[in-house]
Amino acid sequence: MTGLLDRVRIWLVGGRRTPLVFQPSTAAVLSRQMAATQEVEYDCQDVYRLLDQFAEAVLRGEDTAPWMPLIRAHLELCPDCRAEFEALMRALQAQLS
Amino acid sequence: MVRPSARENSEWLTALGGGGEAREAALTDLREVLRAGLRRGLTAWLQAGSPQLESLAEDAAQDALLRILDRLDTFEGRSRFTTWAYKVAIRIALTELRRKQWQDVSLDRMLEPEADEEHGMSVIDPQVGPEASVEQQDALARIGRILQEELTPRQWAMMKAVALRGIPMEALAQKMGVERNALYKMMHDARLKLKRRMVREGLDLGELMAGFEAGNTSGMRVVKGQGG
Repeated sequence: MTGLLDRVRIWLVGGRRTPLVFQPSTAAVLSRQMAATQEVEYDCQDVYRLLDQFAEAVLRGEDTAPWMPLIRAHLELCPDCRAEFEALMRALQAQLS
Repeated sequence: MVRPSARENSEWLTALGGGGEAREAALTDLREVLRAGLRRGLTAWLQAGSPQLESLAEDAAQDALLRILDRLDTFEGRSRFTTWAYKVAIRIALTELRRKQWQDVSLDRMLEPEADEEHGMSVIDPQVGPEASVEQQDALARIGRILQEELTPRQWAMMKAVALRGIPMEALAQKMGVERNALYKMMHDARLKLKRRMVREGLDLGELMAGFEAGNTSGMRVVKGQGG
């Protein structure tokens, strides 16, 4: 149900626009993003500061979920930081092998 | 001779922060460490052994050396020094790669692509396809309405560009003249507005996600309304 405040705000913002319709696959991506969204999130700078430490922990096989959940969440939502993490892991893994 | 990557953190810091031959030797070693790391790390983006990869690795390693020397005092020792240095070099290399890949695409084109470039959405065709159930169509319509009511056209365009069309945030931020971090915060604000509204409307995000991803809508439902 739309709340009273939402309805008033929508009425104030303006008239109805052409309905936005999209495919289920698009909705799946959006739903996943919304589900991963938190009130407080690390930003790209926060993650960059910890990325080297985090990558080494992952490489050592440590369970990073309990102590670095904010990094995990950010990597889920930020494709650029995820790419940097993946590149770093490739560099480190190949160094070890 | 000590292998470059076998140096201890303190040895790197002492050599790079000092002077003379020891510093020159450390710089030469670090440049080679970075080049090798970039060659390995960037193979998901450029073909191994390709001139493009070699050139990017060379240039990024050089730029990274300067940045590392400039920020040596910010290394906190929470990882190996070479891992920290890789991180710096990879940020430089991927930023440059994204800049090159998207340099000929305007901001308008990133945010408002031609109709045939749009994937999976339309404001013209009201049909979502015969595979969508009535429940699913209802959920899609509600999400569409929430998007329109909560986000500005600009916010929705940014979300589509990054989340749905895979445009790197770095490339978009460069065109917008803002830092990537600032763009992430804008996107976070938009996502948060949407999420709060969806929760207020009683949409179960977990069920929505599972239903849309699996193409299975049997369990999709609105669990409760909290907004009155």
